[in-house]
Amino acid sequence: MIKKLRQLADRMKPTFSEGGKLWWLHSTFDAFETFAFVPNTVTRQGSHIRDAVDMKRCMITVVIALMPALLFGMWNIGYQHYSATGEAMTLWSCFLFGAVRMLPMIVVSYLVGLTIEFAFAQIRHHEVNEGFLATGLLIPMIVPVTTPLWQVALAVAFAVIIAKEAFGGTGMNFLNPALVARAFLFFAYPTRMSGDKVWTAGDWWGTDAIAGATPLGEMMGGSARPTASLADMIIGTVGGSTCETSLIAIAIGAVILLVSGIASWRIMTGVIVGGGLMGIVFNLIGANEYMQLPFYYHYVMGGFMFGAVFMATDPVTAAQTNIGKWIYGLLIGLFAVLLRVVNPAYPEGMMLSILLMNCFAPLIDHCVVAVNISRRRRRGKEVRR
Amino acid sequence: MLIITIHKGLDIPMAGAAGGTITDRRDAKRYGVSPKDYVGLKVRVVVEEGQPVRKGDALMVDKDDERIRLTSPVDGKITKIARGERRQVEMIEIERCDSGEERTYDTQDLKASMLQSGLWAALKQRPFGIIPDPDDHPRDIFVSTFDSAPLAVDGDTIFKEERHREATLHGLVALTGLTDGKVYVGIDDASEWIEAALRGKRRFVFTKFEGKHPAGNVGVQISKTRPINKGERVWTMGIQDVITLGILAHEGKYEPERVVAICGPAASHPAYYRVIPGVALETLLHDESLDGKRIVSGNVLSGTRRACDSYLGAGDSQVTLLEEGDRHEFMGWIAPGLKKHSFSGTFLSGILPRLFRSSMRYNTGVHGGVRPLVMTGNFERVVPMDIYPLQLIKAAVIGDIELMEALGIYEVEPEDLALCEYIDPSKTEIQSIIRQALELCRKEGV
Repeated sequence: MIKKLRQLADRMKPTFSEGGKLWWLHSTFDAFETFAFVPNTVTRQGSHIRDAVDMKRCMITVVIALMPALLFGMWNIGYQHYSATGEAMTLWSCFLFGAVRMLPMIVVSYLVGLTIEFAFAQIRHHEVNEGFLATGLLIPMIVPVTTPLWQVALAVAFAVIIAKEAFGGTGMNFLNPALVARAFLFFAYPTRMSGDKVWTAGDWWGTDAIAGATPLGEMMGGSARPTASLADMIIGTVGGSTCETSLIAIAIGAVILLVSGIASWRIMTGVIVGGGLMGIVFNLIGANEYMQLPFYYHYVMGGFMFGAVFMATDPVTAAQTNIGKWIYGLLIGLFAVLLRVVNPAYPEGMMLSILLMNCFAPLIDHCVVAVNISRRRRRGKEVRR
Repeated sequence: MLIITIHKGLDIPMAGAAGGTITDRRDAKRYGVSPKDYVGLKVRVVVEEGQPVRKGDALMVDKDDERIRLTSPVDGKITKIARGERRQVEMIEIERCDSGEERTYDTQDLKASMLQSGLWAALKQRPFGIIPDPDDHPRDIFVSTFDSAPLAVDGDTIFKEERHREATLHGLVALTGLTDGKVYVGIDDASEWIEAALRGKRRFVFTKFEGKHPAGNVGVQISKTRPINKGERVWTMGIQDVITLGILAHEGKYEPERVVAICGPAASHPAYYRVIPGVALETLLHDESLDGKRIVSGNVLSGTRRACDSYLGAGDSQVTLLEEGDRHEFMGWIAPGLKKHSFSGTFLSGILPRLFRSSMRYNTGVHGGVRPLVMTGNFERVVPMDIYPLQLIKAAVIGDIELMEALGIYEVEPEDLALCEYIDPSKTEIQSIIRQALELCRKEGV
């Protein structure tokens, strides 16, 4: 079977090679071939052996790390729906409902995103980059369940073209594309992205919603505490964007990312510490009820942890130096909580906070590297004296 | 004595280390000398095919400075002068035939003896990794007495014989005559006796290095003891060349030889040999089947690829055999990867390295496509220098000399970033990028 597949690929290869009839599709062929088979290229010089890891492996690890949150999110979509309608539910009916809502969004996201990626790779005669494997899954996971598919498609197209390909593709972008997609929706269709009537799906197919507030929405509305208990929010049985609610599922993903070394523990820790510090400062000020909310509530409400684990740690858009990662993470956490508590316009501060720090990451790195440079210069001067 | 432990680095667990006794192959017949083993060296050939030569006779001289010469390691006859593109010399081949006469060198004027015998070419100048200018005064000279690269010859084997131990000491003392600065010697457990023997001598600085590869790289040792600043030059010499220097300085004889390990996961008979540099690889590899295998002169991380009828590279003390990895692997990017080595934790073998240590398989496969540099924070974990490797590599890619200088390009040689190249998921050819950048700096800069 595998041999046949290999023979098929070998037979097709000349058609897609330079001079072949389908040369204009060679990136597409490459993408599928390398998806099925790790390429047989060998080293030429330098290090004659290479680590077994490649970008595909890195990205697939991110996708695997997202699975717990995705599966829980699917179940929770059904759970929220049936809780709101009061219908009887089972584990499987909840999951089925969520899957029916979630899968079309994922399919649309991948379809639109990969089509654009393939087209750009083709135009540039590059290999197709794996970055979108993670981005394409992340986007449906951070929008409200009632987001229409055409909006998902539009947001993905905007993010991939404007935030990524315009800068040269994966590795060259300075803003996290998944968050750009969400920000696009947030500002283009604000009524679809916030308020009380977007978080719980009303039916199997359409975009009808049942009213139901998220913990963050309640806090914005002036509550002293979210209605949901701390335990509910940790488990994740509360309203929110599709897959951001469960702290436990996100924690499993975090462990996968940290053990595999794909995500930076410095950034994750930085975000958590930064958010906590800001929360404690607000607790000390205590000027209003939101400020009096114990700081650890910020960890369990909204997308704070999802952002800390999966968004802030995107290596391309984060700071690249180790010290820079600490600063970058701390500031993300700090701004996220600051935006939540004192900004009247947005209930959730995580998205904007990460995008803001994306913009500042190069500056942070510049300063960190400048210290190293000036240390080297000083050392040189001392010698010459 | 300062003891420095290198925590940032990586020991690649690899089977196929040489061991046991040293087989003497100093009687081998065929030798080759190539100018391509020396960075930036342009030569003029001073011999003709068929001409008899004696050990230490010049075969080629540096076009810019005729005092620098590459010499014949044995008495014999020139059998071939191989030329490549634009008639550049690639290799001069010599067939040995001993004359029985021994030439003696002046032990007082050591610099002249080194230049005359050709041993001068074993010195390397940092920055740039070139043969140093004989009129130059280096800030210091650095010698690493051990090699931490995968499957390298171990110190106990090099220093086994009393004569070589003595020559090591003579060689190190001789080096103090080449600099107004100090001679920095990096040692490990197997070479600690050197410090004991030379204790109290002025102008020596001993530092003991422990820990992971690249602890034995002289570049790492320089950066940990006295880093190179812009405008400074230091010289380095391999430990086995120091032994040759010791014999030259003490006995006035040029006796180039070294212990070489035939090793590697694809070597069926890993073993140590004592040979004369430039020896034909076939004399060392006659026991091995070479089908589908790659011969690397040097270590797996920064050695050079050789044909089976080629010769041992100058300065190399191991020949590593590897399986070629030109195979398609079905869905390899999702396989659990029990037998694949990875610095990352994305394979089971990476999460539980101890468990799978002995079963790792290596080949020359790249294991992926070339991508932009996406992942960050990994290079720092294998470069134990005060340098930002990712930023330096990016500066090297765009050829920004000023930025490279600021980021410390003069402190590195490609071998110091070899581990970055190994672990890079983007499969960038980092060592050749660094070499080209250094050549650019050498031609344009200072």
